[in-house]
Amino acid sequence: MDEDVLTTLKILIIGESGVGKSSLLLRFTDDTFDPELAATIGVDFKVKTISVDGNKAKLAIWDTAGQERFRTLTPSYYRGAQGVILVYDVTRRDTFVKLDNWLNELETYCTRNDIVKMLVGNKIDKENREVDRNEGLKFARKHSMLFIEASAKTCDGVQCAFEELVEKIIQTPGLWESESQNRGVKLSNKEEGYGGGACGGYCSML
Amino acid sequence: PGPAQEPRSPCCLVCAQGRNLKAVLCQRCSSRGVMCVLPQLLLPAMRKKAVAAGSGGSGGDVVREHWLVRDMFSFENVGFTRDVGNVKFLVCADCEAGPIGWHCLDDKESFYVALERVAHE
Repeated sequence: MDEDVLTTLKILIIGESGVGKSSLLLRFTDDTFDPELAATIGVDFKVKTISVDGNKAKLAIWDTAGQERFRTLTPSYYRGAQGVILVYDVTRRDTFVKLDNWLNELETYCTRNDIVKMLVGNKIDKENREVDRNEGLKFARKHSMLFIEASAKTCDGVQCAFEELVEKIIQTPGLWESESQNRGVKLSNKEEGYGGGACGGYCSML
Repeated sequence: PGPAQEPRSPCCLVCAQGRNLKAVLCQRCSSRGVMCVLPQLLLPAMRKKAVAAGSGGSGGDVVREHWLVRDMFSFENVGFTRDVGNVKFLVCADCEAGPIGWHCLDDKESFYVALERVAHE
């Protein structure tokens, strides 16, 4: 581990199918190479390093890998998260309307109530917008969330979103631990049961 | 495909302590430091298959030379696929090219990055 890493944070990305959650984490390349393996198997999570105000943080970013289609992600997905990025598609109002459900789920399963939330209105590069910026902003304020509009395609705002979220987490006392205390992100999905669930983890449902 | 490549001399890649001298980057999108796996040890003659299990089991190289990374948070940018049996494949976090390596769930402290699947700068 690098000496200068301040902390390790667990960040979740949630939202309806097709809003571009996974794309937020992708750097688009203009070549024709298709990352077939990642697309076929699905990426569970990514470790990324981010620098905010001179502080380096390692992020373990969990994407739902399509499991949102089956509703209700397993509790272990939410457990221990310090930050969440809630994504909707500005060209699909239904994905905005469903945000309430996601907030409910978050409230139900999150192990802490001071988790930092950021709302991201994605796909602003597209023309047929159905949700205007003010609506997003209003919803975010109402639920005490950070807000940003972004385009994963043009990379507009994406880096910003992660930086702001991490900045806010670092400013929240008690939400994160210094690197020496925090070695706790579990790699295996097969965690011990939580509430007696038979599967208890993040097993493939495909 | 084809006969195994002649292993490149490790002397240009590792220091006397067996750690990497150069930054380890994604071959596909190396424009920014994609991955820097410090500290690590060279693990020669490791006979493991880093095959693309997702592509129908066909194709793939037997990869013998790996960087061994002991802590997943040593990576700057790496993605982990969902489980394939008891293996997770490693991909570039930025462009998802891969697999560049693998991790076996039976050994929590070993992450292997194939030398021939990454760039060294």
